[in-house]
Amino acid sequence: MHSVAPGSVEAQLEQARERIAELEAGDSLKTQFLANISHDLRTPLTAVITHAEILRDGILGTLTERQLESIAGIINGGRQLLEQVGEILTYARGAANQLSITGSEFKLSDVVTQLRALNESLVSKKGLELISDVSDDLPLLTADREKVAHIIGNLLGNAIDFTPQGGRVWVSAKCACGPNGAECVVEVGDTGIGIDSEHHELVFREFAQVDASASRQHHGTGLGLTIARKLVELHGGRIWLESELGAGSRFFFAIPYPSK
Amino acid sequence: MTAPRPHLLVAEDNQLVCDAMRVLFDASGYRVSTAGHIAEIIDIATSDPVDLLLLDLGLSGGDGFDVLATLRAEGAMPRVCVALTGRDEPETALRCKEAGCVAMLLKPVPSRDLVRMVGEWLAGAD
Repeated sequence: MHSVAPGSVEAQLEQARERIAELEAGDSLKTQFLANISHDLRTPLTAVITHAEILRDGILGTLTERQLESIAGIINGGRQLLEQVGEILTYARGAANQLSITGSEFKLSDVVTQLRALNESLVSKKGLELISDVSDDLPLLTADREKVAHIIGNLLGNAIDFTPQGGRVWVSAKCACGPNGAECVVEVGDTGIGIDSEHHELVFREFAQVDASASRQHHGTGLGLTIARKLVELHGGRIWLESELGAGSRFFFAIPYPSK
Repeated sequence: MTAPRPHLLVAEDNQLVCDAMRVLFDASGYRVSTAGHIAEIIDIATSDPVDLLLLDLGLSGGDGFDVLATLRAEGAMPRVCVALTGRDEPETALRCKEAGCVAMLLKPVPSRDLVRMVGEWLAGAD
């Protein structure tokens, strides 16, 4: 039997391998914990939101304007929390390779129209201009519609969040020739605060926020771009950005069209 | 004489959610039972015919699919079964459909929409 001399390069390599295996096992446990806790948080949140909606809908009697305003706060807060819990769950499932693609053919313009409607009130509240330039005539995408909506939703949410009042946010898409054939390239851009080039890779890392200080103005799980990248990669695509500090950001992702 | 209130069974092992569903559907004109353990769910459904079952997939003592399989074997399938879950997985949705559910809904469903859909499913089952 081949014996490894203590202190030799081989022995050190063996130790390093064992250490990596231990760390991976610990990481996997942590990911599973995140998935479980996110799932368990949804249940009591469901109860809170349902009770608040029962009151809002007048099922138990009519409320005053001020009471309705307060109830709306509970529902909105609950739904926001639920979305964040959902993001953590998606991240944890992605990290554990438990996400899968359910492909179907759809029009990207329909997804963008839907997302536009969802973000309309936030956009007008912030005094932003939201432009969408996604032609109805683009070839149909064959992808997981919900996940593509999730990717664009996360990019759009960031663009709105990081763009000050009076700015512009846009979504556009085109058919292009990629490294492996035809692909659909989607751009989500903004005239917001921008990202220094030294942070371009960092923003895709989990829980990363360029401004991680306690006084930071932009809150969230710090998972939006990590999830977007994971979902793009699940489709065999690529995601990247072009940005400079103070000069807005343009995020791009490409999803391949099936080869004919 | 008034028509009997439809019997709605909420199968859910979280008491907070059961309470919320009871308030919602009781006030919306249903007779509501709640249970969280599969033995209790099966006991209710086999002794008091259920018009609509709102079934959480994760339960004490088993899962929602065990409940559906047992009720089918006992000839006690509710008129309408609806699965409620916290996880949006296409393969689970397909399994629910195959097990006899009209839909799989992701929690939390807005209460107005849930009451409306329950009314529509029951009207469609007549």
